[in-house]
Amino acid sequence: MIKTENLTFYYKQEEATFCFPDIALKEQEHLLILGKSGIGKTTLLHLLSGLLKPVGGNVFIDGTATNLLSENKLDTFRGQNIGLVFQKNHAVHSLSVFENLKARFFFSKKKISTSAINELLNELGLLELKNRKILKLSEGQLQRLSIALSVIHSPKVILADEPTSNLDDENCTIVIELLKKYAKKNKSNLIVITHDHRIKPFFKNSITL
Amino acid sequence: MNIWKISVHNLKSKPLYTLLSVFILSLSITLLLGIQQLKSSFKYQMENNLGNIDLVIGAKGSPLQLVLSSILHLDNPTGNILYKEAKKIAKNPMVKMAVPISYGDNYKGFRIVGTTLNFATLYNAEIKEGHTFQKNMEVILGHTVAERLQLKVGDDFLSSHGLVDNNIDLHDEKLIVVGILKPTHKVIDRLIITNLESIWDVHNHKNDDGKAHENENKDDDDDDHNTDNKEITSLLISFKSPLALLTFPRKINKNTNMQAALPKYELNRLYEFTGVGFKTISWIAYLILFISGTTIFISLYKMIKEHAFDLALLRTYGASNFQLIKMIAYEGLLIVCFAFILGFSFTKSGLYFLFNFLENRPQQIILQEVPLNQVIQIISLVLLIIILSISLAIYPILKMNISTIISNEK
Repeated sequence: MIKTENLTFYYKQEEATFCFPDIALKEQEHLLILGKSGIGKTTLLHLLSGLLKPVGGNVFIDGTATNLLSENKLDTFRGQNIGLVFQKNHAVHSLSVFENLKARFFFSKKKISTSAINELLNELGLLELKNRKILKLSEGQLQRLSIALSVIHSPKVILADEPTSNLDDENCTIVIELLKKYAKKNKSNLIVITHDHRIKPFFKNSITL
Repeated sequence: MNIWKISVHNLKSKPLYTLLSVFILSLSITLLLGIQQLKSSFKYQMENNLGNIDLVIGAKGSPLQLVLSSILHLDNPTGNILYKEAKKIAKNPMVKMAVPISYGDNYKGFRIVGTTLNFATLYNAEIKEGHTFQKNMEVILGHTVAERLQLKVGDDFLSSHGLVDNNIDLHDEKLIVVGILKPTHKVIDRLIITNLESIWDVHNHKNDDGKAHENENKDDDDDDHNTDNKEITSLLISFKSPLALLTFPRKINKNTNMQAALPKYELNRLYEFTGVGFKTISWIAYLILFISGTTIFISLYKMIKEHAFDLALLRTYGASNFQLIKMIAYEGLLIVCFAFILGFSFTKSGLYFLFNFLENRPQQIILQEVPLNQVIQIISLVLLIIILSISLAIYPILKMNISTIISNEK
């Protein structure tokens, strides 16, 4: 469940103000947010995930007004309830595939489940690579790991920022299907922000900024 | 999974840098500790060797030389004094104990000291095996001498003339080992002790051969039982009260042709001379410590800047700023820990080899542990520098804007 009210944000340096339309998603509802570059898509995503605090308005996730949480509580809340997918795939370089997933559990203050990690890695075809360092993964492998990292802790909301913009059609479909699959499995909301119109058919709800 | 493990992984992912930081820091710790240990060993050795000796009286010359030769048995003696003069001084009521010593011979580099039985009392030395010398030509050995030369009670040997080991200038009389002393960790461990008469006897015969000596009796006609014209090298004195130190030395220096030297004062002077070298090395160690602090700062700072996205990513995983700071701080602390372990073992093994090397000479120094407060001082100084480096390095984390970092990485 995710809801926003009158979200506004202001960038001091650029002197740019963004006002966002209200969003209201029920449990397991997904949303595609389309928009051109520079329209504030990433800003909206960061406001939803609590990486930025809104100048005005509220964000409710599962009934909690995240914009009112203290810094520390927000960190914990984000760790437990939100899974983020970025355009550029990334994981902590000094850790192996398996350790990255363990760290994901650790920082979200949830009990580490080795069996859940192994199961997910198996599903994504990464089980044999679990002890490999991040720099030794191929781009495709890293992409699947990024998805694993955003869903392993069963978040309430999965937020994806341009997850497909660098991908060909085939991989684009794979990524969106995977995100939808894990959103369904975890009963999470999935919000994808993109300028990539190829993924429009995968979503019932969409808004354009 | 915990923060420590992540820090360990971070260090492992840059082995070269980690080794370099540990090495530089441990080098500075080694120097700081090593110099302290040498300093305290040196000081302890000098002070310990004084035993109960408050004053040393010998022929005029350099007081430092008198102390070095008669107390530490390192230098050549300043000359001889008349035994009867010395005995007059010994009768002074302020004197608790006066021990005459006379030397000029050695056996395989270990000095042979002619003296009275009180000599052992000055160093609180006790007999381990055998008994004390009772007749002429009987000797007792310091612990180190017996051990190093593999001599036992009942063994005999020929002494050689002078203070340096040689096989040419041998005396004719055999000296017989009658006793061996317990270890004292004082200079007496490295001495061969006999009575005054043995030294005089040996040299009387030498003088008969027409050889001239500087450190012993020169009076050929002398009767062995009449010791009045005999000479000794110096007189070691321990006073009943320290007050005697105020007047006694001046009296000797003014009224006799002998000189009185205060061993404590002379050794402190010597210690100040050698202190310059210690100080220089200490400053080099501080400089290296500073460099290693800078190295650790640069590398942590670089890590934060270059891996900003990793750190931001951890924040999106739910890590707090404080956890990230801990992660960086633990990296620094792990380096310090390893550096301490390495530094301590470098110091131990380095000094062990150094002293093994020195032990081949008769004048060895006994290795002393660094006093605990000095160790704590060094540890605190190193920690302070490293904590400062870490604090400077983590500053960017406090200023980190995750949103900007993540949205710029495209």
